[in-house]
Amino acid sequence: MTKTIVVTSGKGGVGKTTTSASIATGLAKRGFKTVVIDFDVGLRNLDLVMGCERRVVYDLVNLVNQEASLHQTLIKDKRIENLYILPASQTRDKDALTIEGIARVMHKLKKSDFDYIICDSPAGIEKGAKMALYFADEAIVTTNPEVSSVRDSDRILGILQSESKRSKMNEEPVKEHLLITRYNPTRVKDGQMLSVDDIVDLLAIPLLGIIPESPSVLDCSNAGKPVILDEESEAGQAYSDAIDRLLGEAKPHRFMEAPKKGFLARLFG
Amino acid sequence: MSSTIGVELKGGMYTFMSLKLHTNDMTVIDEKLADKVLQAPGFFKDTPVVIDLSVLEDQGVDIDGKALLECIRRHTLVPIVASIGDRTSPLALSIAIPLIESGARRSALSQEEPTQSADLPDKEAPSNTQNPIPDVDLSVSREVEYVVKAPLLIDKPVRSGQQVYARDTDLIVMGQVGPGAEIIADNNIHIYGPLRGRALCGVSGNTSSRIFCQSLEAELVSVAGNYRMLETIPEELRGKPAQIWLDKDRLTIEPL
Repeated sequence: MTKTIVVTSGKGGVGKTTTSASIATGLAKRGFKTVVIDFDVGLRNLDLVMGCERRVVYDLVNLVNQEASLHQTLIKDKRIENLYILPASQTRDKDALTIEGIARVMHKLKKSDFDYIICDSPAGIEKGAKMALYFADEAIVTTNPEVSSVRDSDRILGILQSESKRSKMNEEPVKEHLLITRYNPTRVKDGQMLSVDDIVDLLAIPLLGIIPESPSVLDCSNAGKPVILDEESEAGQAYSDAIDRLLGEAKPHRFMEAPKKGFLARLFG
Repeated sequence: MSSTIGVELKGGMYTFMSLKLHTNDMTVIDEKLADKVLQAPGFFKDTPVVIDLSVLEDQGVDIDGKALLECIRRHTLVPIVASIGDRTSPLALSIAIPLIESGARRSALSQEEPTQSADLPDKEAPSNTQNPIPDVDLSVSREVEYVVKAPLLIDKPVRSGQQVYARDTDLIVMGQVGPGAEIIADNNIHIYGPLRGRALCGVSGNTSSRIFCQSLEAELVSVAGNYRMLETIPEELRGKPAQIWLDKDRLTIEPL
């Protein structure tokens, strides 16, 4: 059974692509045949984060328009077995996507025995985002600990309930997961950021994970490596925990407390 | 006296009786209107009415605008405005009083998330045009003809950007109402989660309707068009269980 998971947020710049890359990589690393699709047509980024930007020949729009085969379009990851990337087109816009076209792509992926299809949604609540979430069985709602991000997530949760295929077909609703990214316990303590409790209270959906703010996220993005592969970093470990929870394992949440570092560690940490 | 405010131009919400036409036959209208007015002559004396032309518009029929206005006035009602979907249609142009676009309210209510659209039955739309309503129902006010209807129950959170409308009935929300969400009812509203969005009860003019909530954090509360924003809600009531109702036209908020 193929599971389709959309990574979405409403707001831009909160870590959807970083999350999509790490979740897809994490699932593939655990042996699941996984594809991650970049739905941000016109603003292609996922290929950079996955480090395969020089290997893009065909893209999602070609596939939707039946100008290329699935085999030609999928980019096989060089590091992880079972991991494939389906890049977005950089030259087209979101109007190039149609539900029928995406449905065909999803059907082909399911027939190719993928266990997981991860859909990296563009920001906003317009066509691109709606396309990305339409076929979702589950949704990872990425939120930063600040009010505007939380409100946009609330909005996208409403859209998931009304615009997804599951809602339109009156099937079991999309399973929602909350992933808090860029969490900085020190700033939460100082009252500059919303706490985990505040966010969970505001959004009222189960918490999948807390990704601490970490320089390694940017370093990895620049290096074209999903941060989950940086096992030393807290962010990488937090994503790894989130994968375990996604697969049904109960794991206590980490990285919620401000680090009790000494003075020197704080200077050089 | 230069500091005196001579005039003020403000937006406001008022409740009017609407006169919905199901036929363009003047003799039938005249007869039915006479019946209605006869039931409570004092009540209808000089009462302003909004003429609702939506049914005629949907049926695609015209009406003698001049005769209609005369007829309404003869029955002591004061036609003030006509409500119609298309203000430029021949039907609209035949009525010599100001027009408002009736579609506005209806589409605003169903526009956003169609999640609850099943709960927004378009009862005012005609059943269909091939089947013209044989007996004419000149339904007047909702206050007069109140029909008991099961409340609309929402058992999941109402998210930002969503709108829920309980037509002619109570609205019960078991979860939270997020900021930027809007819940609307013709009757009472009960919210068992935190109320962080907007809640408007009695939108069709039921001044005795109330809002009950477990945690008042609303952006706006309104009873029959009388509204208050969060900043004018006393600090000590915020986040507390409260009820909101109209005490002689005054919007009153009290802890539960």
